[in-house]
Order: sequence, then C-alpha cells, then structure tokens
Amino acid sequence: MKSTRITAPALLAVGALVLAGCTTTPTAEESAAPGDLTVWIMGDSSANFDALVAPFEEETGIAVETVAVPWDAIDQKFTTAVASGDGPDIIQIGVSKLRTFADSGALLELDADTLADHPHLAAENFIDGVAGDATAIGGSIVSLPWVSDTRVLFTRTDILSEAGIDAPPATWDELRADAKTLAGRGDGQYGYYIPQWDSALPVVMTWDQGGEIVDADGMIDFDTPEFQRAVDLYTGLYADGSVPTNSDFDQTQGFVSGVAPMLVSGPYLAGAIADAAPELDGKWTVTTLPTGAAGTSLLAGSNLGVWGSSDNTDGALDLLDFLSTPETQVAWFESDGQLPTVKDALTDPALAADPMVEVYTQQLADARLLPLVPNWDGETGKALLDALNSIVLTGADRDQTLDALFQTTSGTSVN
Amino acid sequence: MRPRLTGYAFITPAMLLLITFGVLPIAVAMIVSLTDMNLAGLGDWSRIRFIGTDNYAALFADRAFWQAMGNTALFAIVGVPSVVGLSLLIALGLNSSQSRFFRALRSFYFVPAITAIVAVALVWGYLFNTQFGLFNHLLSLVGLPPVPWLSDPVVVKFSVVWVAVWRGIGLNVIILLAALQGVPREYLEAASIDGASRLRQTVSIVLPLLRFALFFVTITTIIAWLQFFDEPFVLTKGGPLGASTSISLFLYQKGFSASQFGYASAGSVVLFVVIAVITVVQLRARRADVDY
Repeated sequence: MKSTRITAPALLAVGALVLAGCTTTPTAEESAAPGDLTVWIMGDSSANFDALVAPFEEETGIAVETVAVPWDAIDQKFTTAVASGDGPDIIQIGVSKLRTFADSGALLELDADTLADHPHLAAENFIDGVAGDATAIGGSIVSLPWVSDTRVLFTRTDILSEAGIDAPPATWDELRADAKTLAGRGDGQYGYYIPQWDSALPVVMTWDQGGEIVDADGMIDFDTPEFQRAVDLYTGLYADGSVPTNSDFDQTQGFVSGVAPMLVSGPYLAGAIADAAPELDGKWTVTTLPTGAAGTSLLAGSNLGVWGSSDNTDGALDLLDFLSTPETQVAWFESDGQLPTVKDALTDPALAADPMVEVYTQQLADARLLPLVPNWDGETGKALLDALNSIVLTGADRDQTLDALFQTTSGTSVN
Repeated sequence: MRPRLTGYAFITPAMLLLITFGVLPIAVAMIVSLTDMNLAGLGDWSRIRFIGTDNYAALFADRAFWQAMGNTALFAIVGVPSVVGLSLLIALGLNSSQSRFFRALRSFYFVPAITAIVAVALVWGYLFNTQFGLFNHLLSLVGLPPVPWLSDPVVVKFSVVWVAVWRGIGLNVIILLAALQGVPREYLEAASIDGASRLRQTVSIVLPLLRFALFFVTITTIIAWLQFFDEPFVLTKGGPLGASTSISLFLYQKGFSASQFGYASAGSVVLFVVIAVITVVQLRARRADVDY
C-alpha cells in the first residue's frame, strides 16, 4: 500500500486515458521504420514468436517487433491503445474478449475483398467452430483464427487403477462416482479439481446435459432444466467432498502430487505436467470429455486481428497469411505447444503421430465457443461463477442464488 | 507585490503538475460519470451518450459496490490503528539507541515499503498457500488444522490487511523516527532530573511533541487505506466472491475488466467525496490543537 497517493487508481487511470488521447509524443511503435509491424502476443515470452516469423522477415524485408503482453494486463493495454489510437499492427485476441474488442471499432474489418489476395486466409481453411461467420460480430469479421484450445479430461491412470478404477470415466455420472471413490483415499485427498475461476466449465456441463445457455432469440438464458442438472453435477462434486475448496489450489501441483488426480483442462496443462514431472510419463492420460446427453467441450484459443489505423495493413495481412500456412502452424505447435486452427495443419503427420494430439483433434471436432456476448469475463461469466461459488463455498441458498443469476443475465444478447 | 509574485513563481510548476494529474482527472471523471462511456465509446466518441445520474443510481443499488465499501471500511478500521500504533512503537524502540545495530534495524523495517508488489505477492502467496504454505506447515507442527488464508471469505480480509500493515509501517516508521529525533533533549533531561521515569517522559513529553507527525501519518494512512488496492489485487484479485474487494479494486474491475468507464468514474467520484469529507473533518478537528 502506498501511503502517498492522492487520488484513487481508477480516477487516475481514467484521467490518464484522456491525457493519452491528447498526447503527441512518439512511442516505440511509431518510431519504428515505416512498414515495420508490431505484434502483440499474449503471454510472457515473445522469443518463440520471433523465431517463428524470422522466415517472413527475411522474405519480405519487413521487420516484425513482437511485444509480449501478460494475460492479466491485456484489458488495460487494449483500453489505452484504443483511447490513444496508438495500437500495434496485429493483436492476439482471446476469443472470450472478441466481442468487446470488436465493439471498440479499433479492428480492421476482414471482409472477402480485403482477404482476396491472401489464399491462406479463406474461411474454409480453418476449423469450422471458429472460422468465418462463427466469430463474426454483428455480421462483420474482424479476426482470424490463430491457435485453438479445447478442454479434455486429464486423469492419473496409476492412481485410478490403485483405487480399482480401470478406465477414465466416460460419463459425467461416472466421473462424479469415481471422484467420490478417489476422495475417499484419505484426508486431504480429492478426486477432481474445479478451478474456481473457470466460468466455462459450468457451461460445458450444461451443453453436455443437452442444454443451451442461449435461447432462440439470441438471449442468454440459464433458466433451463439442463442447466439445473449441470448445477446438480457441479454442486454435487463439492457436496461429495470430491473437490478442494481452497481458491489457491494449484492444479498442476495437485495433479502431479495426486491430490486431485482428475481434471478438465487445455493442452497447455500437458506441457506443464511434462515439464514439472517428467517421471510421471505414462502414468497419466488425456481423453475426450465425459458425456451426458453430449460430449461437447469448450473451444477456446485465440484469434488475430489487424488494427484499423495501422499504416501497413497490407504488410499485416501478408503476415497473417504467412501465419496461417499449415507449415507455420505446425512449427508453432512444435515450438510453443499451441494447437493449430488450420485444418491441413491438424492432419499434418507431425501432429497426427502424437496420440495426445489425436485426442485433442477428436475433441476439437466436438467443441464450441462460449456465446459471444459483450464482456463474458467481466459480466455473464463472472455472474455465473459468483452464483455457483457462493452456493458451494458459502452455503448460499440455491434457488434464490440461481434466480438472481437468471435475472441479472437474462437481458444479455448474443447479437 | 513583488515578493508575492516570487512565491507564485515557485509554486507554479507544482501547481501545473497538480492540476494536470490531480484536478483535471477528477473533473474528467465527474463528466465521464454522467455518460455511458465504454470501450466502444472510447474508440468512437459519437457513441457516448449523456445519461445524467443513472450511473449513480445503479451504483447505489449495486450489492458489489456496498460489499466493496464495507470491506474498505473494515480494512481502514483494522488497518489504520495497526499501522499507526505499530509504527509508533517501532519508532520509539528504534529511537532508543543510535548504535550500528539499530541503524541496520531501521533499514530492515523499511525494506517492505520499497519491495516490488509482485515480489510481495509471490512470497506471501506462497506463505499463505493452503496446500504447501509455510504458515500452515507451522500450524501443523503444533497440531493445529490448516487455515484457508486466502480462500475463506472472513480470513482473507485479515490476510490482506496483515500484508498491507507489514508493507505500510516502513514509511511511517521513518517519518515518526525523524520527528522523534527532533524532540529537544533538554526537555527530557530536565524531566529525568525531576525524577520522571522513561514511560512518564514518553507519555507526557514525547507524544505531545509528536502530535503533528502523528496527525500527518494518520491522515495519509487513512487516505491510503481508503484507496487500498495493491495487496488484494495481486494476492486474491478481490476474491473469493468479492470478500477482499476494496473500493479501488471494484473501480478497477468495472473500469478496466468490464470497460464501463462511466460507471467506474461515478464510483471514483463517490470515493473522492468520501475521502474529501473524512480529511476535512480531520483538519477541522486539528484546528483546536495548540502548538508548542
């Protein structure tokens, strides 16, 4: 805590936005040579991306500057960029933020004419779940798929078989029963892990019960019997004592130590486990999600967009085209572990040979985006998580809490 | 006339800075708080609508806002006396000797104040961790059950206050120490010749002379706690379920995570008013003071 601050951070921030809007000081982005491209890549490191685009730089003579933006900082960074009109040329956009970013009007519309000279950017090259109209906002497309991410079930086969469970659970009901068995191993042992910040899991559970969270009019609607069943499953796992209740539970650590031997996560967890505990190799596996009425998983990942006021949109499109070639996408998987979005890259022998990738690809075929509402993370998703967490963690009344959730979210339109 | 102008010339740079970074943002926030400005409005100003006091009405009906206000009040009630009291005790202790050891101790107490908040968050995050944290390990050694330091809606409030107190005392100790060293030795010597004990000297001479320093420390500490932000932001993100969300963090979430600038500005204006009122009340109370 700083004791010398005079005004609240938010107050300062809003003021800073406006000031930033009037400033004419050249920034790093602007002072680069004309024609050079700045790319904002999410995460902590830009080294891999620099290596990835090296061939492009050589071929075209365009220098590409990559800036790594931490996931936590992206809202703030994007906001200041919109306010000042001083953004990068290309920006990576998590799909849950797509609607918010598109609404800002800062991104270039990527219609058929714009993409005409770039054959690799045609919608049919990408997996259907995120291509073209699937990620169009209000009818206009402002981003292209870049990496895909789907959730699969991770299980510690060694611990399951010790507990007399031969195979990873195939249905959510089996998962709940198995989790209870595993939690019975002793004090401080759990069967499954629910990340308290993961607003997608309850949605996936609803889909798997055969439900939808968007009604026929394109409005968010949680008031369905399928959602109630998903809530039963979610709260049931807590009621059974199968999941840890502390919010600072470390999923990788929990999986490696065996405290929580089952969980649903993305391919990045496989990398984290392989790094943290190579000795566990062969003792864990990934499978497609357990099923209810369906086995649909979340399709997440991120897209790339071109900044509307970029002074080199042609160069930016050329770079996007390069990034969307199957070779580049495979290279990115090999260096950074991120799954491609280009169909030809997914069937590339380099990927298909990996049995885990086979599971991911299979799951990708049955995976959906979260509804593209304005601000999923900050509003709808947060309301959903707050409701469920207050039921399971603080014992809030289920019916009242859910009613409040239905009311706060019902006016949200997907269109 | 001339000497007056000289004075103004000296304060002009500071005034300009204060107006640009202090007054202007407040004015801007007041205007923005009457609009529905969001990220879309920021990109295209024609999409900003004037909505009058709707933001304020929504704010006062928002349970999360009142939760954050309540949390902030609790943080201030627990934090301010802790910081001021502990700082005073430590400063009195440190003032009792000028040896090299005590000088080293001074920097020891100051280190938390200058440590980067991210490092603080990492270290304390590990100390507090329910699974493998040091605190729970120590508790287990004496046979106590683990405490969900950052997961329990009640415990978490005290965990973040604990870290903030640890971080906040350093600067205040330095201020009070400087004031303590300004206490004239003659007074103390005279008192001890008259047979006053150490405690008596402290209570009757040192503390009254520290009044202004204590007043300054209290006022800045109260303002700092009303703007409490860093610790919950990095340790818990305001969770679980908003239990550690301070009003500043609430404004940050609305402004930057939810892009509702109008709404966040309304909140920041309310916070500004609260801080202004509390500060004015304190300044009034101080008027009755006698200077030595």
